Amino acid sequence: MEPLIDVNCSPMECTSLSSSAPIWQDILAQAMTGELLAAMNYASLSEIGDDPAEVADALEHAQGERGHAAAFAAEGRKIGVDVVNNVGAKHWKRLRDAFLRCITERDFIGCLIVQEIMLESFAVASYSRVGRVAPGSLGETFARIAAEEEDHVDHAMSILRAERASDPQRFDDKVYRLHLDVMTTLAQMLAKECKDGHCEVCHASCVKPSLFDVNLSAAELRGASLQQYLKTLDMLGIPGEVTLRWVTQLPV
Amino acid sequence: MGDAAAGVTTRTRTIDADFALIGHQESWRAAADVLAVLRGPERTPLPDDEIKDILPWIPPRAVCHVDVGSTAGAKARGLYIDSFIPPDRLEAAYVHENIARVRKAAACAIQAGAKIVSLGGFSSILIEGNFDQLPERNDTVFTTGNTLTVAFIVQGIQKMCALEGRNLRRSTLLIVGATGDVGSGCVRCLAPLVRRVLLSARKGERLRGLAAELQDDGVQVEIATDLQRFSAEADVVICAASLASPSLLLGRIASDAIVCDAGYPKNLSPDTQMLGATVFFGGLGQITGGMRFAPDFHGILNRHPFPDVVHGCLLEGMALALEHRFEPFSQGRGFITQERVDEIETIAARHGIYLAPLYNADGPLEDGLNARWNGREDESMGERPSRTVESSF
Repeated sequence: MEPLIDVNCSPMECTSLSSSAPIWQDILAQAMTGELLAAMNYASLSEIGDDPAEVADALEHAQGERGHAAAFAAEGRKIGVDVVNNVGAKHWKRLRDAFLRCITERDFIGCLIVQEIMLESFAVASYSRVGRVAPGSLGETFARIAAEEEDHVDHAMSILRAERASDPQRFDDKVYRLHLDVMTTLAQMLAKECKDGHCEVCHASCVKPSLFDVNLSAAELRGASLQQYLKTLDMLGIPGEVTLRWVTQLPV
Repeated sequence: MGDAAAGVTTRTRTIDADFALIGHQESWRAAADVLAVLRGPERTPLPDDEIKDILPWIPPRAVCHVDVGSTAGAKARGLYIDSFIPPDRLEAAYVHENIARVRKAAACAIQAGAKIVSLGGFSSILIEGNFDQLPERNDTVFTTGNTLTVAFIVQGIQKMCALEGRNLRRSTLLIVGATGDVGSGCVRCLAPLVRRVLLSARKGERLRGLAAELQDDGVQVEIATDLQRFSAEADVVICAASLASPSLLLGRIASDAIVCDAGYPKNLSPDTQMLGATVFFGGLGQITGGMRFAPDFHGILNRHPFPDVVHGCLLEGMALALEHRFEPFSQGRGFITQERVDEIETIAARHGIYLAPLYNADGPLEDGLNARWNGREDESMGERPSRTVESSF
């Protein structure tokens, strides 16, 4: 899909970003897809909640994630590109399916682990890196949303820590099972090259080789995401020697 | 991976550590081997380019458990914590980043409840002048381990001189990196035993202070920040510089000099042309009461041609743990004396920790020469370790 020049875009911003706009378009498309998937996940979570406060929380989060998706779409319009999303794209669909398995089992804790520990680690770290290099309001939006996503993690962390305290072994085994399912998919998404074909979100060929043009790299986004994941697992209290093995065993 | 394996992998261990060892890998090859063990034999090793991309992002953390035994019957449990400093960042340009990594590794040790923590290799160099930068601790003490490193360097020099039929008392000793904690410790121990001392370091002021201290004791000493400026040739050399110096020019040394490379990372490049000089790696000890890693990192974390050989800085923490002396034995810079070296040597020997067999990049150095060695080790440390010692517990 060709980028569309928006008449509302300021001339200076359009000019400065014109050459890199297709790259930002794909970055925004991945981010928007992730946010919409998160919104769907929280909406699903609200359906299994017993506690009205939890249900309200989940619905509020779903609304927040939809707002993030809208913000990314708006940033696309500012630089004259149409940001598409595809929650049915192969990797994202696998992530959604993993979450829905937890929903089917009415596994509230499993849902939090998938969404807040795994997917949000990926979002917080990658948005933060993008926020550092993206120009103007585009960078500000990524940085702001990264901070808001981090607040989610803090909220979930207290629930998950309490759960782990009741039975650390059972909790760690559950995290590991979900890790194999979800983080394997995320690792494939974060690999330096998409080895198993087009991701079905990028508008043309894979954006990863072009990331250098906007001072990013696929290796950096992967490294930052896995580092954030390890730190989040540390905060849960899972031994670092164990989580190190988990992460080093992921596909590259 | 099946569920059974998953259960094993996630098994949560209650950490009850007597000691912790903070280290890092000296080369990308060593780092690759560590990651290969962590990935397990059923997965293909990571390609080199992936390792270079991934390693810098790994936060400091425990890699394995280390159990050690004493020949006197004591046992101690510990952890090896890797700071994951990338091997190509072991230099001054990354000092703040690296100190931050050591701080985080120290926090891991504290969280694990380690009673004593040894700072290995570059970690020790980074922290010896920055102990105040370590995190707040309650029941955890830190030691650079430099005193036992000095002990093994000095023993190694004495042993190699004996093996080569040299009279140390007639030697001119050059110490590169003389004002560091290890370098200055070696100076204090060896200066009374040699004819003349040449001291080299980057900071002239510290050099002058150390020289004045030695001259007060009647030592013949010369200092230079440039190795080429010494008036005499050295025939015994200790390289204890804080940074890798593959371009280190040792031109002003005797053609048949004995050279101890005590650096970690090594000060001398493997392809350094040393003509007829005998180079050996110094500061290494061997723990003869047994050492076990879980998971099994034997030969990966301790990459030496002899079993259970470990750097002196790490062995100091193990020896103190076996002795139940949880105290910051080596701290700061410039406090290592002959008396402290004697004390840690005695503690180490009591638990079967001795100077390791000497070797260099080409392999073992002692074949056929042992009969000529009659140094302090034989006199004061009991039976010397066998080369075929295997982990026994």
